[in-house]
Amino acid sequence: MSAELAIKTEQLSRVYKVKKREARGREREIVALDRVDLEIPTGELFGLLGPNGAGKTTLIKILTTLLAPSGGRAWVGGVDVARNPWEVRRHINSVSGGESSGYGLLTVEENLWMFTQFYGMDGKTARGRMRELLEIVGLADRARTKIYHLSTGMRQKMNFVRGFLTDPEILFLDEPTLGLDVQTSHRLRAFIKGWVGERADKTVLLTTHYMYEAEELCDRVAIIHDGRILACDTPGNLKKRLQREVVFRLQVTAIAEPEKLFQHLQGVRRFSHAEINGHMELDFILEDENALPPILTAIQASHGELISLEKREPTLEDVFISLVGRGLRDGGRSAGAAEGEP
Amino acid sequence: MRLPSRWEIFWRTVMGRAYPRVVGMQRERSWLLFDTLLPLLQVSAFVFIYRAIQAPPEFTGFVVLGGAMTAYWLNVLWSMASQFYWEKETGNLELYIIAPTSLMAILLGMAIGGMVATTVRAAAVVTVGLFVFGVRVSIVSVPQLLGVFLLTLLALYGLGMLFSSLFLLYGRQASHLSELFQEPVYLLSGFYFPVRALGFIAALGASVIPITLGLDAMRQLLFPTMMAQFRFLDVRIELAALAVLSIVFLWLARRALNYMEDVSRREGRLTVRWQ
Amino acid sequence: MTQQRALESTRSLKMAAWLGWQIASNWASPFLLAVYFIAKPVAGALILVLMYMVIARGGLRHPLFPQIFVGNAFYMYVAMVLMGVSQAIHEDREHYGMLKHIYVAPLNIYTYLLGRGVAQAIVATVGVLIMLLFGIAVLGISMPPGTIDWGMLFIGWLLGLIGLGFQGVLLAGIALITARHAFFIGQGVAGALYMLCGAVFPIDVLPKPLQLLGQALPLTYWLEALRRALLGVGAGALLSSLSDGMILLILAGSMVLSAVASVAFYRWAENRAREKGLIDMQTMY
Repeated sequence: MSAELAIKTEQLSRVYKVKKREARGREREIVALDRVDLEIPTGELFGLLGPNGAGKTTLIKILTTLLAPSGGRAWVGGVDVARNPWEVRRHINSVSGGESSGYGLLTVEENLWMFTQFYGMDGKTARGRMRELLEIVGLADRARTKIYHLSTGMRQKMNFVRGFLTDPEILFLDEPTLGLDVQTSHRLRAFIKGWVGERADKTVLLTTHYMYEAEELCDRVAIIHDGRILACDTPGNLKKRLQREVVFRLQVTAIAEPEKLFQHLQGVRRFSHAEINGHMELDFILEDENALPPILTAIQASHGELISLEKREPTLEDVFISLVGRGLRDGGRSAGAAEGEP
Repeated sequence: MRLPSRWEIFWRTVMGRAYPRVVGMQRERSWLLFDTLLPLLQVSAFVFIYRAIQAPPEFTGFVVLGGAMTAYWLNVLWSMASQFYWEKETGNLELYIIAPTSLMAILLGMAIGGMVATTVRAAAVVTVGLFVFGVRVSIVSVPQLLGVFLLTLLALYGLGMLFSSLFLLYGRQASHLSELFQEPVYLLSGFYFPVRALGFIAALGASVIPITLGLDAMRQLLFPTMMAQFRFLDVRIELAALAVLSIVFLWLARRALNYMEDVSRREGRLTVRWQ
Repeated sequence: MTQQRALESTRSLKMAAWLGWQIASNWASPFLLAVYFIAKPVAGALILVLMYMVIARGGLRHPLFPQIFVGNAFYMYVAMVLMGVSQAIHEDREHYGMLKHIYVAPLNIYTYLLGRGVAQAIVATVGVLIMLLFGIAVLGISMPPGTIDWGMLFIGWLLGLIGLGFQGVLLAGIALITARHAFFIGQGVAGALYMLCGAVFPIDVLPKPLQLLGQALPLTYWLEALRRALLGVGAGALLSSLSDGMILLILAGSMVLSAVASVAFYRWAENRAREKGLIDMQTMY
């Protein structure tokens, strides 16, 4: 199966109905995906960024035939996911962060071998690939360990291996480096990049919460929020959108109600704030530098003290904040928008 | 690169899924106690009930046979019917679904893998029954006996596959559904007494459960004299019926599994946990 | 410190009882739940009924039948409470992944486990009542309210139930150090005890060594107490020489012994589980 487009969606939608009992007497709908159009060519490493509940996992579930769309269509490798799911499955695999699959009493090798049998792989090929991949993720010495003895990070490494073991044409990685240490994450990212880079027929759809991961790995990135794609382009082009704006990072002593303080200031397009090590970090996206003095005045008026000020090049996180209105990390940042901004 | 055929994937899946069952049992052997000694004691209770009410010795044989078959019924309920529910809870079900394999192959692998422990349990009950309780059998026909046993298992596991899709689709906490089916089936299938005691119509209705006919036929082939007054149907009719049930259940299971997958995908239930 | 521990224990019991009920009742439509409550006990009763009808001279008028029926009815507590308490370990560990959090929290694990058995005891009570009503209304078993020894019934029932709870804790200890296929340990043990405690036939019928075993079981005296309270007479000759007071005394003593032995065993199992890292073990296959 080869197709120019590895993944294509056309007005793809997914609506969940919440039962009356759970919705306090009224049946209501949750729109998880709202008319999503995507085209991912074969050979691309494509990133999907979005906050929790944005629709990333729902999209992956539809593309991996776990979930049926409520509207629109999707094709993986040129095959309609709803009409011919078995054919799609022959060419894909999926790895999720925080997976707990497998059987505790079996060893790493045995679990992995079992999964290869579901793809019809012969034993010799499976074992050879397993050895290579376990070496890459640093789990070769634990191949004969029962998985209930593994730590969370080691289980995730095993899951990672499971995804690549069948050598799929299209691989879905849903936060694959979750729970892994820095060194291993770095090694795995290099592996993912190499795997796609060296093979023109391999495609990866990656979701992540780590901006640097998306910037490092992805040929293109889509930002999804509330079930809709807000932007889709190369990381470089996305950052260029903000280049006509100015990005400042200020560190100040704690101030009360920053949203109220900065929301109405002229020239402030977006800002976000986070408490870090006892002080507050404020990131501003401004129309131009003239918007800065009123910000400093406002900080002084609320009895805050400026600790540091830095002008930055826009990052993918800034693009994200400018589009979504808040930071990506859980509990990390809160954000505000100037009046009239989306 | 050549992709494997459906047939190859099917058989490799069966072996792959049977493997954890076979190996798991070797690695944690407490099942030898729970699945052999304890059920033996439970069966013995029914033997002593019959002794207390001075039943003919053949009734001990009826109980022993029924006790042996409970092993298979419980295996079907707990290790097949509820299984996809447990697989969903542990995150394995979604990996099975996205693999290019068949859920029937997965279930068949589970059945074959679980058959070892189940057969050990059944064999323990029969062996103890024969020696400790002094059960005397007069085998009418070994081929017929084997045929009945194998067809009963085939139909039974077909029913188990059918249940696995229904439990997943309709069952929250599938363990309760499995519990719900335990005692009523012990009653209706005549595990501990000849099913004819229920009356012909009730016994006919109960025949949809393969063990009903299987037990009755096996009792006729092992205790022909006593069963002459208690038999339900002729052994040949029961054999034929079991063959039909096997085909019907396996066909229905296939349809139900496909339907289950379709509906679960539409309603987003394949990955919802802790129901 | 004692007050704190007492508060902890009460909190654990209440929370576990609530949790156990949520799990036990949240699985089906009300209709299916009602079917479950009725179908299980009635099917269990009918198995016995049919065995008697097929074989016993006199059928349901056999003199032993009422004793056997009552014993079988109350035996539902045995399976359900033993199951409810012991399965809590497997459920919390392998299904919900919660056992480690329970151990980390300031809970009393013993009252927690007993609390998880409370929901099953409630379900069993409904089943027992349905069975008894079925026996009276349909099978003609005589149990006029005026002849029931309510005091003995209540005390016997309570002592036996508490004893069962602690026996469940012992099984929970075994569950803690075994794999998931021991999920049925509660049911399996209940099935085994079925033979030895005279639930469905007088222990006089057993071979001598098994009779002695039966006489050593608290369950035997529990069922005897309940039969005497409801029917005015027990089952079999072996226990007939014991007075009602003696039966209750033996029951109380065995309850205390069960509690001590179960807690001691559970402690040992817990230490073993900690040494081997089994508290968050996953053994599905």
